[in-house]
Amino acid sequence: MANVKETHDLVIVGAGPSALAAAVYTTREDLDTVLFEKGVIGGLAAITDWVDNYPGFIKGISGLDLAGQLQGQAERFGANIRLGEVSSIVDEGAVKRLETTEGTMWAKAVLIATGSDYKKLGIPGEQEFYGRGVHYCATCDGAFYRDKKLIVVGGGNSAVQEALFLLRFATHIDMLVRGEVKASEILQHELDKQVQAGKITVHLGITLNEIAGEDKKLTKVVATKDGETVEYPTDGVFVFVGLLPNTGFLKESEVKLDELGFVLTDKNLQTNMPGVFCSGDVRSGATMQIASAVGEGATAALKIREFLEMQERNHVTPTGELV
Amino acid sequence: MTKTITIYTTTTCAYCEMVKKWLSSKGLTYTVVNMDEEAPEVRQRVIEMSGAMTVPVTVVEEVTENGQEPSYRDITVGWNPAKIGAAVRDMVAA
Repeated sequence: MANVKETHDLVIVGAGPSALAAAVYTTREDLDTVLFEKGVIGGLAAITDWVDNYPGFIKGISGLDLAGQLQGQAERFGANIRLGEVSSIVDEGAVKRLETTEGTMWAKAVLIATGSDYKKLGIPGEQEFYGRGVHYCATCDGAFYRDKKLIVVGGGNSAVQEALFLLRFATHIDMLVRGEVKASEILQHELDKQVQAGKITVHLGITLNEIAGEDKKLTKVVATKDGETVEYPTDGVFVFVGLLPNTGFLKESEVKLDELGFVLTDKNLQTNMPGVFCSGDVRSGATMQIASAVGEGATAALKIREFLEMQERNHVTPTGELV
Repeated sequence: MTKTITIYTTTTCAYCEMVKKWLSSKGLTYTVVNMDEEAPEVRQRVIEMSGAMTVPVTVVEEVTENGQEPSYRDITVGWNPAKIGAAVRDMVAA
């Protein structure tokens, strides 16, 4: 008996806001939609303490709750979310072959919506103290620092937002910023209030050199300011210094990336591989906003529907033959 | 050997939710210890047990009586379905 190919209308790589928004649209169009998530359903949004700028929530919403709502909505229409990983996408004409943790499967269309992850600092001590003093998730690990002193590295929206969250636990936070603070006005205002209250101290023009400790316990960050070596004693370090696209699985594929590793698309959000689309933070030119990612997910879903309808009109079979 | 599963979590931890969802999808029951609601001694015990200051920490261990040390204990730090899967393999119904 011949092997039956597991073929879906659409496989979405990722299950963050963009992926889930796309799935809401495609499942409502009765497209058989499977999502693969190797990390957290909801992506970086799910590990964000509070989301204040996503439309529709007067008082804002916790990232975890927003992720839960997006997931529930997609699943209500039949989205099939699998906790696993896609390791490659190969163009076989009318279908794409995907290698996954569940084995080989095929899809008539693919949406890459793998989002991004926080960058590492790449300095000595970072790896040694990872999870034992160096952290990238405030909502996960902040509770271990009740009544402790912390350092937050970074000066963008995420760094300020997470520093404000960490004040639930920490007595004081030193923010180490390479250039200047570049957060939204409202976050900057909240930060200023905490600076005036003596809860946060912002240090600008800081280059980090090393994270150091004694007896396997992190004790300080060594940095350079104005050419001088400076030490900042601390109990823990939280790092939010920008984002890296989750495109490692595409390195060997034919899908084109830009010089920073983000996925290149045309105006229809289609990559150079016909039938493979991309939306959200992982797309070259993305604004790194949840609302934008969700909008792009919806747009991608509509373009995927058009693509599949065109394939159908051209009578292309899932095996790529014209009939 | 009868085993139990305990997940050490915090209220806002998204990775902890993934562990819970994954175990539930396998039909497994577990106990949740939310460290936001526990005394500092519990946090300290989890740090000593896991060697890390992070959650989730998932502990799969043999059930013992009279306070005996279990002969089997597997500790997974973070969201790692492959490792947790290996620890609970014999608990999942065929």
